[in-house]
Amino acid sequence: MQRVEHVMGMPIVVDVRDDGVDGTIVEQVFDWLRHVDAVFSTYKEDSEISRLERGELLLEHAQPDVRAVLERCAELREKTDGYFDARYAGKLDPSGLVKGWAVDRAAAILDEGGVRNYAVSAGGDMRVRGGALPDPAWRIGIQHPHRRDQVAAVVETRSLAVATSGEYARGRHVWNPHTSAPPNGVLSVTIAGPDLATADAYATAAFAMGARGPHWTARLNGYEAMTILADGLVLSTPGFATARETTFA
Amino acid sequence: MRRALTALFGAAALAAPVVDVAQAATKSKVTVVKKTVSGAETQVDRWGTIRVTLVVKKTTTVTGTKKKVSRSIVSVKVPVYPNHTDRSVYINQQALPYLVQETLHAQMNPNIQLISGATDTSDAFVQSLQSAILLAKKV
Repeated sequence: MQRVEHVMGMPIVVDVRDDGVDGTIVEQVFDWLRHVDAVFSTYKEDSEISRLERGELLLEHAQPDVRAVLERCAELREKTDGYFDARYAGKLDPSGLVKGWAVDRAAAILDEGGVRNYAVSAGGDMRVRGGALPDPAWRIGIQHPHRRDQVAAVVETRSLAVATSGEYARGRHVWNPHTSAPPNGVLSVTIAGPDLATADAYATAAFAMGARGPHWTARLNGYEAMTILADGLVLSTPGFATARETTFA
Repeated sequence: MRRALTALFGAAALAAPVVDVAQAATKSKVTVVKKTVSGAETQVDRWGTIRVTLVVKKTTTVTGTKKKVSRSIVSVKVPVYPNHTDRSVYINQQALPYLVQETLHAQMNPNIQLISGATDTSDAFVQSLQSAILLAKKV
């Protein structure tokens, strides 16, 4: 069962491969995502994030989810030396974390509903479990930065979150918060690991770091990375290279 | 496999002109193979075990009865390393070779279900590729 809906400003794909799953659980996932959008959108005047920004809502009166997300943003800001920042140009905007966090929770809804073979993909970032039945695993292509109909690598997995940050798709949308300049020399950073919110934040941060990014990714605990540089070099952490190699065999 | 083939062609192309000049009369045969070799999993003091894997490129040049073999290490990986404390993880992350370097390749791969790419909101491309893949599965 595959469904695509436009939520949180992007098309979201929910692909469930288990037999005998009815549409109810998929509907629950989209209900959840619409709820997240209503609470966290910076485009909606009455969202909690907009009300916090205008000073109409105090943090201690915000929903526990909002407080949890903002706390996680603060933690990730520290872990990434300030390169992942939920404030853009002084304005509160946690959407860089919210997307991954919402997909992680969507995956939890499917887990709790007994679904064992699924993918949830939001704007090029995703979480998968089990296999794309009848295939025993999911095969995820990493977009080639120049050739839009081709991929630069393929990762085969039965449980993973994968996020890519880069500047080939929409022009420059990630900026180095320390210099207010776009990062140089890097086309894209892909991070794979257990949790999409973290993978996405790390990808954003590593991309913003520019040339220093690959070495920073090499020290992450539990997350693997692949960086595509503008000069055509690809730098992967050993775990990422190993995950890819299985697909070349 | 793809990379092994590329290396083979690359090496042959480089070797050919040299052979033509030096050994115009005798033909040389150049064979390049890449092999992955794994060291034994080895105990590191009381900290845990380590295993090192190398990819070795072996170039064999046969000219008449002369045979020349050269080997070079093209990649070093450490698939197993001590990680039983945060400190040993930290030390190893500082010390072990931690980035594998390759050249960017493009591949057409119809056998994938998902695409991870840089996109923020409604970037049409990655999503359309994504939906095309979903559709292609139904053809």
